[in-house]
Amino acid sequence: MSFLNYLLELENLKMKKSFHIIYFLSLSSFSLFGQNEIDSLSLKINPKWSVNNFKLNTTYISKQKDTLKITQFKFYISDFQITYEDNTILSDKKSHLIDLEKPNTTLLAITKNNKKEIKSINFSIGVDSLASVSGALSGDLDLSNGMYWAWQSGYINMKIEGTSSSCKTRKNSFNFHIGGYLNPYYAMRKIEIPINKLQNQINLTVDLERFFSEINLKEMNSVMIPGNDAMALANLSSKIFYIE
Amino acid sequence: MKKIVLIFVLGFLIFGIVSFSKSHFAPIYIEIPTNWPKPVYDFKKNPLTEEGFQLGRHLFYDPILSKDNTISCSSCHLQATGFTHVDHELSHGIEGKIGTRNSLTLQNLAWSKNFMWDGGVNHLDVQAITPITSEVEMNETLENVVNKLQKSEKYVDLFEKAFRTKKITGQLTLKAISQFLVSLTTTNSKYDKFIRNEEEFTEMEQKGYALFQNHCTSCHKEPLLTNNEFRNNGLPMVADLKDLGRMKITQNSKDSLLFKVPTLRNIEFTFPYMHDGRFKTLTEVIKHYNSGVQKSRTLSKELHQPMNLNDNERTELVAFLKTLTDKTFLFNKKYAYPK
Repeated sequence: MSFLNYLLELENLKMKKSFHIIYFLSLSSFSLFGQNEIDSLSLKINPKWSVNNFKLNTTYISKQKDTLKITQFKFYISDFQITYEDNTILSDKKSHLIDLEKPNTTLLAITKNNKKEIKSINFSIGVDSLASVSGALSGDLDLSNGMYWAWQSGYINMKIEGTSSSCKTRKNSFNFHIGGYLNPYYAMRKIEIPINKLQNQINLTVDLERFFSEINLKEMNSVMIPGNDAMALANLSSKIFYIE
Repeated sequence: MKKIVLIFVLGFLIFGIVSFSKSHFAPIYIEIPTNWPKPVYDFKKNPLTEEGFQLGRHLFYDPILSKDNTISCSSCHLQATGFTHVDHELSHGIEGKIGTRNSLTLQNLAWSKNFMWDGGVNHLDVQAITPITSEVEMNETLENVVNKLQKSEKYVDLFEKAFRTKKITGQLTLKAISQFLVSLTTTNSKYDKFIRNEEEFTEMEQKGYALFQNHCTSCHKEPLLTNNEFRNNGLPMVADLKDLGRMKITQNSKDSLLFKVPTLRNIEFTFPYMHDGRFKTLTEVIKHYNSGVQKSRTLSKELHQPMNLNDNERTELVAFLKTLTDKTFLFNKKYAYPK
């Protein structure tokens, strides 16, 4: 019967054409271009190398004096939660894949703007263990996104790949695939950041210089399985996010 | 008013077409023998249909899954041998490269909790990504497989039939493969018929069954002929492979040299045996358990005492193992290369 309803709806639409079109447009713009709508609250991820905007395939020098280029940077943000000044909480249970090769993934329309002062935000980097044991999922969690391990099941929470002359590896490459959903190597990390402001857009900076300031690429350049190294990198990955 | 009536009729017509096409969405139900445990696979999350099964079957037999379109799932998993390969110890992949393990059989997978010799894969739906991305097997990415399928008219059509969408995704590709894999059930061997009181064992098979229950069923548990766990069965480690098995996954030294206990169904045809295919015949396998077990820290406690079977008993045990052959499975046309 839904088809019949749909047709009747179409008829209605003709009568109230203008109203419906406005409604439809506002709906689609909310989901597609959330940041420009006064009515929506969005999250913008701003990748940086120290004070500068970060770009893939660009040469940087780390505090460890490693000259490096990052060719791929992808990570999941899950369970995004906003705590307002009046202690009400708004949460988005979904997992979002941020991929610097796809700039549109750095902007997430989270919710309607409640126009209340935001006390703090918290979120997780990575995907929870339930998703890692649930088989083939869809959308941002689709296995074709290249964020799932093969011979050992589980999502990769964060993937950083690149090259550096410090790495005596094939093609001087380094590969950090940070993940692991089973204890004692559970690599998802929760982050809480205070805000205390009224905002229409939350600007979250992720600073890659901070990540490489604690890694000596000559010694550590390939972490692609869960374990102690992945746990150390997961701890490090939770220190590179901040709000300006 | 006339318009409204017209729309009403049109709506009815469309509703009719939709419900008619829905009736072509044919559900499949897997037959489960009465004394069997409940399957592990959650069919509610991937309801089996004839269309989904057929799509999975096409994918299983199609080398489009590999980087250079040369290797399909069936390259290493042949139906007539219980969906494993024969002849060579270790499995071969793309450009003639050789892996480090002997491919497992694909039988009654709906009852498996985990997959691979080391149990590294935790769900049937994500299993296929392992051979697809392995550098020595298919050396491809799931993303690229999806791109190739999306460009193929045949597959766009098959996906639409199975899932009502022309947009092919990694999820749907993997779920279709699972639909084929969970359908590979073998429940009609002479052993099964004996259990169901439909057929008699010979005296030799009967004696072999008694020996089997005495010496083997703590790991090769009936009716699936596996307990779905991991064991060190006392095989000396091969120096050039240095395969630690389950420990690679858990990084726990208690799991050193532990491998999956495989099902023994159709064991007559699934040679060579063991994770590295070191034994060519059942006689060699039984000889190993009889007197070849090597003691080590993680050896399965059931194997501390050798079996010590005499020549007659060993022959009887082999006779029983051959009752696990299910020709209605090995030669079932519905699992064969799609025509």
